Amino acid sequence: MKKDKNLLHKVILQTIGHEKRQHYMIPVFTILLSLLFGILVIALLGKNPLLAYYNLLQGSGLAPKASYAGHKGMITDFTSFLNALTPMLFAALAVLIALKAGLFNIGVSGQMLAAGFTATILIGYSALPAVAAKPLVVLIGFLIGALAGALVGYLKHRFNINEVVSTIMFNYIFQNVISFLINTFYVDPVSRQSRNVGQAGRLTLVDVVAGDYKMDIPLGILAAVIGIAVTAFVMNKTTLGFEIKAVGSSIRAAEYAGIRVGRTRVLAMMLSGGFAGLAGVTYYLGYFASIQPKVLVSTGYDAIAVALLGNSSPIGIVFSSFLITVISKGSTYMSSTSGVQAEIASAITGIILLFSACGAYVKYKVNRWKEDN
Amino acid sequence: MSDYIIEMNHITKRFPGIIANDDVSIQIKKGEIYALLGENGAGKSTLMSMLFGMYEPDEGEIIIRGEKVKIQSPNHATKLNIGMVHQHFKLVSNYTIAENIIMGMEPVKKTLGLFPSVDLKKANEDILALSRKFGLEVEPTKVIEQINVSMQQRVEILKMLYREAEILIFDEPTAVLTPQEIEFLLEIIRSLRDDGKTIILITHKLEEIKKIADRCAILCRGRLIDVLNVADTDTKTMANLMVGREVSFTVDKPEPEFGKEVLRVEHLTVRNEDKYEVVKDVSFSVREGEIFVVAGVSGNGQIELADAIAGLVKPSGGRIFLNGEDITSYSIRRRNLSGISYIPEDRHGVGLVMDFTLADNLALKSYFDEPFSHKGVVRTNEFAKYGDGLIGKYDIRSSQGNETIVRSMSGGNQQKAIIAREIELDSPLTIFVQPTRGLDIGAIENIHKQIVEERNKGKAILLISLELDEVMNLADTIGVIYNGVIQKIADARTLTPSQVGEFMMGVGGKHK
Repeated sequence: MKKDKNLLHKVILQTIGHEKRQHYMIPVFTILLSLLFGILVIALLGKNPLLAYYNLLQGSGLAPKASYAGHKGMITDFTSFLNALTPMLFAALAVLIALKAGLFNIGVSGQMLAAGFTATILIGYSALPAVAAKPLVVLIGFLIGALAGALVGYLKHRFNINEVVSTIMFNYIFQNVISFLINTFYVDPVSRQSRNVGQAGRLTLVDVVAGDYKMDIPLGILAAVIGIAVTAFVMNKTTLGFEIKAVGSSIRAAEYAGIRVGRTRVLAMMLSGGFAGLAGVTYYLGYFASIQPKVLVSTGYDAIAVALLGNSSPIGIVFSSFLITVISKGSTYMSSTSGVQAEIASAITGIILLFSACGAYVKYKVNRWKEDN
Repeated sequence: MSDYIIEMNHITKRFPGIIANDDVSIQIKKGEIYALLGENGAGKSTLMSMLFGMYEPDEGEIIIRGEKVKIQSPNHATKLNIGMVHQHFKLVSNYTIAENIIMGMEPVKKTLGLFPSVDLKKANEDILALSRKFGLEVEPTKVIEQINVSMQQRVEILKMLYREAEILIFDEPTAVLTPQEIEFLLEIIRSLRDDGKTIILITHKLEEIKKIADRCAILCRGRLIDVLNVADTDTKTMANLMVGREVSFTVDKPEPEFGKEVLRVEHLTVRNEDKYEVVKDVSFSVREGEIFVVAGVSGNGQIELADAIAGLVKPSGGRIFLNGEDITSYSIRRRNLSGISYIPEDRHGVGLVMDFTLADNLALKSYFDEPFSHKGVVRTNEFAKYGDGLIGKYDIRSSQGNETIVRSMSGGNQQKAIIAREIELDSPLTIFVQPTRGLDIGAIENIHKQIVEERNKGKAILLISLELDEVMNLADTIGVIYNGVIQKIADARTLTPSQVGEFMMGVGGKHK
């Protein structure tokens, strides 16, 4: 037994013991661990775990299905997957920027809603042509989100109100005020949601005919890719990024270096909120076309874990967003094909996020072993 | 069976870059007051931390009551009836006195014979009885935040007694107390000894040792110099042994050549977070080519004074001039650019961003300027180039060169990095706050040399020091601060160490 344990230690040390590789090896390790755990759960349900995982890929358009309905195919599944991925990428960026400044933006969901709602009523219901409407939706989304974020940053700076508390409170405020407004002014009596926005303002092109296929093309994914590049650039290559990271690592040292901590925090929260706003418009005026009152999407919360899983690096969150979206997007197909409930997919997502939060512990433990050896 | 309750034999403890204890052996008799004397960084606290189970020695053995033990944790030490009052109290500030004392070993009652709960009534009674027994009266139901420091210390002592400690370790217990409170504490310690407790007193104050200790071990730079019977010796002998060292610490310092005034502080008053005045109406000035040392015992307002000049705290009154310019309302950044370099007291919390690389830290005060950045875009290779230059010039050692995360570096090299960064700013005024605290002998010499070099180049130096020999060695002008007030400003050559020492205690000049 003792020998087995040593062997296990050795294997783990060989793979994730190396300090330089740890920043990506440890998330990979925790993901593998949670996928193994998921296999166990599915096997216990008496289903074939590998088939279930394969179904997830099929449902996300990453593997061919056995059969397709008319005008559908792997490519249409994949564009639909990208459609779901876009808000997740933006939301994860929002969390990431705040984290870098040492702040926890729990309010991404609320900021998404505020931005999505404002863009819906101002542009979504207007008669503007698409060329004007689409850029305006993006602009308004960013501005409203940035405003909501900056407010949180200002409250923190000016009155020392903890951003976790204020963002949670704003989540409630946005959720309830906006659902009141929708129910009073903008409700569609049949769907019980807000009336659908017009095609002109929507960031996803619906039912585009390409050859044999009819697909949804998310324009926002391009913006998300640009957003990731911009974030990486700001964080690594600008003085603002240097300041944000300094404030996030040590407020007192940042202050000592002459950095204006309050201003930096407000700016970081503004950027964070801005990306949350973009997540909002790509969700409510892209992936969907309406807002369900009284519901706060889970994207904003999942994004916290996605950002942590992605090791708070802009490139890292591409992979973690991808993974989490594969699981959530593919779960419908998995449940209809393998009979594994879609809830199990949510549970696996939960496990991955839980394990990823243990990344620091894994690192600590591995480094302890390394010292002992 | 030996006569000793504690024997620590051939103890050696190393930390990265420093030997905290080097083959130290001490034996302590039951029922005596045993003092550990030494300067800051001499290894007193480390030695006692090992006795209290916070570290394990690298070499050597600990024998308690004749039995060899390996003390693995403070809990283990408590089981061996060892208690320690730390320099910084470890109390929960919104709990009552009684709750703090019983924490971890609460008396439990069972409501309805089923549900366990803390029997606070019994706790309060127990603690009242205990405090009466030892003459340490407290009100058990008072909350920690509402009582003063001396009372909090009393709670710490009761905490040990409640755990039936027989061996009581006091780490610099008088550092935070007023003279009257010190008298009272010494009285308490004496009566505890008379009750049969064994007391270990960590201190660098000779008077206290002379007053109450039976024996005294003198540590210097991690090594045991001598163990004296306090009754047979005098404070002068102890002082010589404590300060005496193999390496000469006198720095070659040419006669001062003062230039024009660089820093002028006028009627500066600073309040701390509790609105209490910690710097009171302080005025002085520092000239080019002058080392002005603010000497004083820890906690007399000197840190706040330095922070106020550097802009980290806002003064509540008074004005600060740099090269004739009123900088009182300037931001920190503007002060830096106007010509203030600052080596702060807290290296880890303030002086460095611990999770940044060495290169980033070396550019921490110039990253926003050419050549490090251009229009808000940083040039990473300039950081590396500049970092490598400083690493060579100042002999900063690290495992991965300029990419080393500063957290992983040794304390001495971290301080080298800060000093390198600040000196390279080439500011007319450099403020050093306890620049050699906790460093080994070589590093101290090096830093002293750098300070004198800067002064010889015509820079104005404001040095804040707690160590008398550092003060005497480096100062051109000495300003002694006590209780937030500058007691005396004089040419260093006209003061003797003992005079400075008296002013530091707030008693100078009274018997003249």
